[in-house]
Amino acid sequence: MTSMDVQIRKTAKKYLDEGKVSCVIGYERDSRGRVRPAFIEKPEDADHLIWSSECSLNLVTYLHQRKLSPGKDQPVPKTAVVVRPCDVRAVNLLFAEEQIKRENIKLIGLTCAGTEINGQQRINCKFCQERVPVIYDVLIESDQPIEIPTDKDIYADLEEMESWTAEERLAFWTKEFDRCIRCYACRQACPGCYCFECVAEQVDPHWTSIALDKPEKMFFHVMRAYHLAGRCVGCDACEAACPMDIPLSKLNRKIAKEILDMFDYRTGDTPEDAPLLTCFNPDERLRT
Amino acid sequence: MKVLTQKKLNAWLANLLQTTVVAAPVEAQGKLVYRKIDEVSQIVLDFERTDMSPKTWLFPMTEPILFIEQGVETKLKEPPKPEPIVLFGVRPCDARSLLAFDALFLDKAPEDPQYARHRESTTLVGLSCPQMWESCFCTAVGGAPNSTDGLDILLTQIEEGYAVEVLTEKGKKISANLVFEEKKTSLPDPKLIQGLPSLSKTDEWMALFNDLYWEQLSNSCLSCRACSFVCPTCRCFDVRDELTAIKPGLKKFERLRAWDTCTASGYRRIAGGHNPRDSQKKRLRNRFFCKFMFYPDDFGPLGCVGCGRCIDVCPAGIDILEVIANVEKMTEREKVGG
Repeated sequence: MTSMDVQIRKTAKKYLDEGKVSCVIGYERDSRGRVRPAFIEKPEDADHLIWSSECSLNLVTYLHQRKLSPGKDQPVPKTAVVVRPCDVRAVNLLFAEEQIKRENIKLIGLTCAGTEINGQQRINCKFCQERVPVIYDVLIESDQPIEIPTDKDIYADLEEMESWTAEERLAFWTKEFDRCIRCYACRQACPGCYCFECVAEQVDPHWTSIALDKPEKMFFHVMRAYHLAGRCVGCDACEAACPMDIPLSKLNRKIAKEILDMFDYRTGDTPEDAPLLTCFNPDERLRT
Repeated sequence: MKVLTQKKLNAWLANLLQTTVVAAPVEAQGKLVYRKIDEVSQIVLDFERTDMSPKTWLFPMTEPILFIEQGVETKLKEPPKPEPIVLFGVRPCDARSLLAFDALFLDKAPEDPQYARHRESTTLVGLSCPQMWESCFCTAVGGAPNSTDGLDILLTQIEEGYAVEVLTEKGKKISANLVFEEKKTSLPDPKLIQGLPSLSKTDEWMALFNDLYWEQLSNSCLSCRACSFVCPTCRCFDVRDELTAIKPGLKKFERLRAWDTCTASGYRRIAGGHNPRDSQKKRLRNRFFCKFMFYPDDFGPLGCVGCGRCIDVCPAGIDILEVIANVEKMTEREKVGG
């Protein structure tokens, strides 16, 4: 048990005891020792909560389950969520898109040195330039010193892909999507994907066939990447969720990089940022 | 017992390849899947479990079941008969999943013509497991690492090569020209995982249908389709007439069936928009009940063979073995009157 575990548990207990929230979403270990999401509703269960470098899931996506009133005249539930710096940008996105209200959410922010999947550091962690969340209600800091790298480009891993020709890129993605099974784990894990009925599943209009073949899979991923333009926060939850280990974040973060280059805009800086591609800002200028 | 050396096995496979399609575990971008092979050297036999099950060969991810031409008259055409294939290197758990498929698609009228065609033209050569692997639990659901259910031939790796059990007429047919050595040793016992929970009976599951447990369990479920798509026994599908060509006076369609699953949010939505399983709790509960209660009640076999793929793949950390253990605990509690 680390000092961060202790502080997370204390904070969760306090929020629940004081009735500030009805649920704390965090991480716990299952009977095999693997990390999974925890939904703590009773103060005494807060002792399940942990934090470690294995906590690679983005918990913000679970806020979508708790953003509506459960029934007639019932208030929208109040939720606390344990957030890493990458996750919390997604929270800002959801505030900006008016999916969740600031007063219903308590953010238990963590300083983070990076997380891993199966012992390997996640790709966005390698290049992450922020180790402290941009927004939080409570900040729980690691007792180990965390370096904030200042000279790493957060999109450095995309350089190789950018050097390829269009044909080479098509060949790469065709090969990667070959093993895609169109399970939608990437979409379901993404905090920015919350459409009630996804374009890929719409019956009428029928945008794409139900087939689980190459053209449909390519369409789904490219479509999803475009729908996340200006909205993707680079949390890499999609890649972490993929059962076939497809490097999905390359596609989504490439578009995020284009947005940064073109508009000097990075999603999720503040809760008040108007969504870039949906709001007209007369002052915005294309960077030349 | 009959024994084949590795060399003889390779020669046999190379020979089979001359006359029939062989699908075996191959590496595809770091994942192990069953694909058509051109050469014996492509086969990977040193594995615990493949990432996708071989059910894709009997129940393809996407399959046309009818071709339709709508012109002055409507013309219908059935898809061509699938070519005979040998599925090589099938683990006993994956072979047992055929019991579940057969119970639905063959034994219960009406027969599914596509599945029946695939089943008839497929010969399964199994590879038994020397031990149960990390997330395995085949023994908890009526299976075993060396089970012969659903297989036409079973190979067991031994020091000299492979012990061969020819189990069916189909198995005899493809091994007719093989000359085996006879050895007087018995097959090694696979190493089992001890202390697995015991699966509760269908009526015990039914008694827990309204338990709060399902609500708590489903909190972390993302309603994706990953668990069902890697599962060797999941067999639900969507059907849609997809337009393939349109000219003045003529429209061509193919009636496609594609994998789908009860865990997806829109799976059970019907015309008019009503969704009987509109919450994650209802959908996830259905997944487990289908496997351990509804399916065995309606068709006989369980809807789970204990392969453990869903445990490894679930992005939300939901563990089917943990569910079985919890249901066992809750059932015990009910019995004691707690």
